[in-house]
Amino acid sequence: MKALVHSELLKLRSTRTTAGLLLATLALEALTVTVSVPEAGAENPPVSLDDPSLLAVAVGNSFGVPLVLMVLLGGIAFTQEFRYGTATPTYLVEPRRTRVLVAKWLSQALSSVVITTATLALSVTFAIALIRSRDGDATTGAQFWQMVAAGFAVMAAYGVIGVAIGALVRNQIAAVVGVLVWMLAVEQIVIPAYPAVGRWMPGAATWALLQIGPSISLDGKLLSASAGGVVLVGYTAAAVALALLVTPKRDVL
Amino acid sequence: MLRLERQPVTGAVELRGLTKSFGDVRAVDDVSAVAVPGEVTAFLGPNGAGKTTTLRMLLGLVAPSSGTATFNGRRYDELQDPVRQVGAVLEASGCHPGRTALDHLRVLATAARLPKDAPERVLAETGLAADARRRVGEFSLGMRQRLGLAAAMLGDPAVLVLDEPTNGLDPEGVRWLRGYVRRLADEGRTVLVSSHALSEVEQTADHVLVIVKGRLVRSSSLAALRAEAGVGSRVRTPDPDRLCAALDTAGHTYRRTDEGLAVDATPEQVGELAAAHGVVLHGLVGTADLEQAFFRLIQESDPAERLASAEGALQ
Repeated sequence: MKALVHSELLKLRSTRTTAGLLLATLALEALTVTVSVPEAGAENPPVSLDDPSLLAVAVGNSFGVPLVLMVLLGGIAFTQEFRYGTATPTYLVEPRRTRVLVAKWLSQALSSVVITTATLALSVTFAIALIRSRDGDATTGAQFWQMVAAGFAVMAAYGVIGVAIGALVRNQIAAVVGVLVWMLAVEQIVIPAYPAVGRWMPGAATWALLQIGPSISLDGKLLSASAGGVVLVGYTAAAVALALLVTPKRDVL
Repeated sequence: MLRLERQPVTGAVELRGLTKSFGDVRAVDDVSAVAVPGEVTAFLGPNGAGKTTTLRMLLGLVAPSSGTATFNGRRYDELQDPVRQVGAVLEASGCHPGRTALDHLRVLATAARLPKDAPERVLAETGLAADARRRVGEFSLGMRQRLGLAAAMLGDPAVLVLDEPTNGLDPEGVRWLRGYVRRLADEGRTVLVSSHALSEVEQTADHVLVIVKGRLVRSSSLAALRAEAGVGSRVRTPDPDRLCAALDTAGHTYRRTDEGLAVDATPEQVGELAAAHGVVLHGLVGTADLEQAFFRLIQESDPAERLASAEGALQ
């Protein structure tokens, strides 16, 4: 298994896709932080400059794009094997396909640690600088550290879910477009419009876990952080189970 | 099912009653055959005959509807360290275009726990050492085929399975591949190589398996097939329709080619027939062609293949 994980990590490192996506993510992430920290003197911002949870919320908010990145990286890790026909040599080396799946999951989880560290380094530094420049409260309370821990967990979960989506869909364009439409349109529209249903969606569970409800005008409408965590674990487990069920049976043509 | 004259031997690849259906279509129908060490076994058939599906079943990529495919009696997914035992080239496009040739091989060698120098070794062996650090997207089809072969040789396997390896190779590449494949068999390896054209394997194969419409229609040594190859003729005439009518009446089979007709009859027979029917001939030569014997085999097995596949296979 160790050899397979090393091989998967080498796959991630040896094309420009990963680095390109990560750079684009960091750029977009900086933009998210900028809009999360209110201007000095702004009227009725969702979270005011002197709110002690401002840093946690601003940084928590900045996970939006990195989470999309993790699902895409996970999805691409599988779909590109079919797009470029590398699934054949991969399965020739390891014909027990569940082991390949597990190796991809582990490699995505490991990569998520590196990527989350990089995204946090940028967002925390940038948010503190921005808040201080506007004379705001940039303290790191309990909520901040909970958000950091939640960030590492959801990033890993999204990577794992991404791999499962890739294993199930296999068509790269369908998987990528599907993920983007779901995360950037469906959830963004349905969750605020119908929170009673929407709060059970993976995106809402993630926002609950990151405790960013107040900043996106969903204060009190999301599940509790712990319930959000349970829901997200449920989605991840379901995706993993489906991928494990389907992958060994499919013909590789 | 065809009776095979050879018995399974240790180190052999064995297909037994291998069958695959996609919905109502039987892509592979009860195929039983053996490929033995030290020989190049050619797996021949027109495009769409079921060659690739058979090889994919052998390698555990496609699940058979029934039957078994084994190496030394074991299914591919039961092999310990499969790439050290079996090497396979299934498609030219099996690499990420953005990855370098060396990294492509490293990915596989790492997963298979092979020695660190294995990628360099096989790159040198397949004449790609100078291109190791180039991205595969810049490679020609022929270079990709060589890279596929390099990947297959990573584990220095005793069995090689090659699916249409000459596709995309230039004549020099084809000649190189023939020598390479022959050498691998002479080293005592089992080589199973598929092709849609007999001419491509004529110089290297020891044994021939012919598959048509999913069914194995022939398993014999190349020498036996050659001995059976009857004499045929190539004819040029300004009036092919009348000649065809005469050939039909006389019961000779033929197919139309770009230059005229290829007839399964001696030049004497064709010449006399043309004279008797007053058909003008512009050219008449005799051929003793193994390829023609192969076409006949295909035609006998499936008359519908006559024009479509035989012509396709000629290319």
